Amino acid sequence: MIRVAAVGDLHVGPEVAGAYRERLTGLPDHADLLLVAGDLTRHGTVEEGKVAAEELHDLGVPVITVLGNHDYHSDQQDDITRVLEDAGITVLEGEGTTVECGGTCVGIAGGKGFGGGFAGRCASDFGEPEMKAFVGHTKAFAERLGTALLGLDCDTRICLTHYSPVEETLSGEPPEIYPFLGSYLIAEAIDASGCDLAVHGHAHKGSEKGVTPGGVRVRNVALPVIQQAYAVYCLGAE
Amino acid sequence: MSEYLAAHIQERLAARAHELGIKVEVRDDVVYLHGQVASVEQCHQIEEAARMAAEGRRVCNEVSVVPVREPGGEERLS
Ligand SMILES: [Fe+2]
Ligand SMILES: [Fe+2]
Repeated sequence: MIRVAAVGDLHVGPEVAGAYRERLTGLPDHADLLLVAGDLTRHGTVEEGKVAAEELHDLGVPVITVLGNHDYHSDQQDDITRVLEDAGITVLEGEGTTVECGGTCVGIAGGKGFGGGFAGRCASDFGEPEMKAFVGHTKAFAERLGTALLGLDCDTRICLTHYSPVEETLSGEPPEIYPFLGSYLIAEAIDASGCDLAVHGHAHKGSEKGVTPGGVRVRNVALPVIQQAYAVYCLGAE
Repeated sequence: MSEYLAAHIQERLAARAHELGIKVEVRDDVVYLHGQVASVEQCHQIEEAARMAAEGRRVCNEVSVVPVREPGGEERLS
């Protein structure tokens, strides 16, 4: 059995440095790995990225993260990625990685993702270039995600994004903003690869539990949703 | 118009305090802020940013800080 700890939307900055890490003592007793679903920072500065790296380095279990929209705000996402990777944290953006956990190979693929909405009420690749760019960004991501998920040679497969693959975990957010919170294209990639779990953040006012049309469990682990340092999901037989 | 004012304040919260999830309501001469943020500092920042855009109206800050409990329990998904 694999124990997956997951959390998103830490939104750290110098003013709260060290506070989150305090909650992580004993993490290896409760989980085999930690997934972080993006929005590590508030303004997306390298300075905040360094604080995030301080919170998450050397925790005794592998830490895999994606970035969120806040981490892109200052155009320093590449530097933030570097700072995190220098601290031994794996940052995924459209690719996958595998982790050995007690004889089981866990594969994780993911990235930030983007919006667009959900079947029947979504933006389409049509009209102005701005609209096409919006939808195109999600489409390109979903394609890379699908390839990365299918390319994982592992026993347990997990998808990690910032934006949501389904509507269900957005419940609590105003429906008018759903198209800015996720896209069904992410769910389609998840279902095509037969994941065991999909984890996301971003929807602070959403709900924890959902499922893709193909039956893959989806969990919104945004800190304001789970209201604990991390949630733990157990996968596979004991 | 109070609806435009609420929208402008919300924009200011995004630009100044980088908070996107705060509900802003203008009723009579009072601006109400609702939602949750990660820290007390952010809660103050929001109020300050809202006040700057509130055109002299009173700001009633009802934003709370997300409680982060010790991790407890696990969910079995097999
Ligand atoms: Fe967030
Ligand atoms: Fe976000």
